[in-house]
Amino acid sequence: MKILVADDSRVMRQIVIRTLRQAGFAGHDVVEAENGRQAVELVRSEGPDLVLSDWNMPEMSGLDALSVIRASGSRVPFGFVTSEGTEDMRARAAAAGAQFLIAKPFTPEVFAAQLSTVLPPAP
Amino acid sequence: MSVHLPAPKEVRDLLAELLGRQVEISFAAPLAPGPESPATFAVYVDDYLRVSALMVLDVPLSAYAGAAIGLVPPNVATNAIRWNVLPPLLEENLREVLNVMVNLFHAGDADHLRLHVVHPAGGAVPQDVLARALTLGQRTDVSVDVAGYGRGTLSVVLVDR
Repeated sequence: MKILVADDSRVMRQIVIRTLRQAGFAGHDVVEAENGRQAVELVRSEGPDLVLSDWNMPEMSGLDALSVIRASGSRVPFGFVTSEGTEDMRARAAAAGAQFLIAKPFTPEVFAAQLSTVLPPAP
Repeated sequence: MSVHLPAPKEVRDLLAELLGRQVEISFAAPLAPGPESPATFAVYVDDYLRVSALMVLDVPLSAYAGAAIGLVPPNVATNAIRWNVLPPLLEENLREVLNVMVNLFHAGDADHLRLHVVHPAGGAVPQDVLARALTLGQRTDVSVDVAGYGRGTLSVVLVDR
C-alpha cells in the first residue's frame, strides 16, 4: 500500500509518518508532497491508496487539491491532517469528498481510529 | 466576541501532545525581551486581520520546542542557546509549533485566530510588536520544562483591538 503525505512543513510530514508507524501502519510506502499542486501530480503518477493532507499550503491548498483530484475521477481515500478542525472546515472537507479530518496535535490512537476505516494495518 | 487567554494547563496539554513528551509548567515572571535577551515573537490575527495576540518564547524554549518536535538532538538546541540565535532547522520547526499553538485560543465561542507572522529569536523585531509584548494585562507567563531537553519561558499576551 502507498500513502501520500502532503504538508508544506517538513517536520509535520515527519511527525505524520512517525505517527503512522506508531498507529500500526508501518511498512507502507510513503511519498511526500510539499503543496497541493504536487499532491495532485503525485496522485496521478503514483496512484496512492490514501492521501493525508494539510489544509493550508502554498501553491494550492489541500481543499483545492482534493477538488481537483475528485474532478479527475479519482476516488482515493483522502483525509485532512490540519492545525484546525472547526465544524465549518469539517463540513467543507466532507462536502469536497474527504473521508475524515484530524486536527493537530494528534495521537497515534486518533490516527488508528480514523485510518482503520480506509487502510488495513501493515502485515 | 473575545480572545481566549489560555490557562497554563491548556498550554501544558497541547505542548505535551504536540511534542510527544512530558511537559511541566510553572508560573514565571513576564518575559522582558530586549537586545541582550532576544526572543521569538509569534503574531496572531483575527478574521479581520487585526493583531489579537502574541506568543513570546525566550531563546531556550524556542530552541527546545523547535528541537523536540523534530527529534533533533538536544545539543543542537544547546548550541542555539549559547549563540542566542536559532539555526534554520529549529526556526522552521518552531514555526510549525507556533502554527499548531493557535488552537490554544480556540475555546468555546472565542474569536478565531490564525498565525500571521513569526519573528524568530535573533532577528529584527518590529517596535510595535515589541511594545505589545511588554504590556501588562491579559497575559499568561509560564516556565515550560520539556522532558529530555530543558526549560524556557513562554508569554501569551492578548492585544487590545
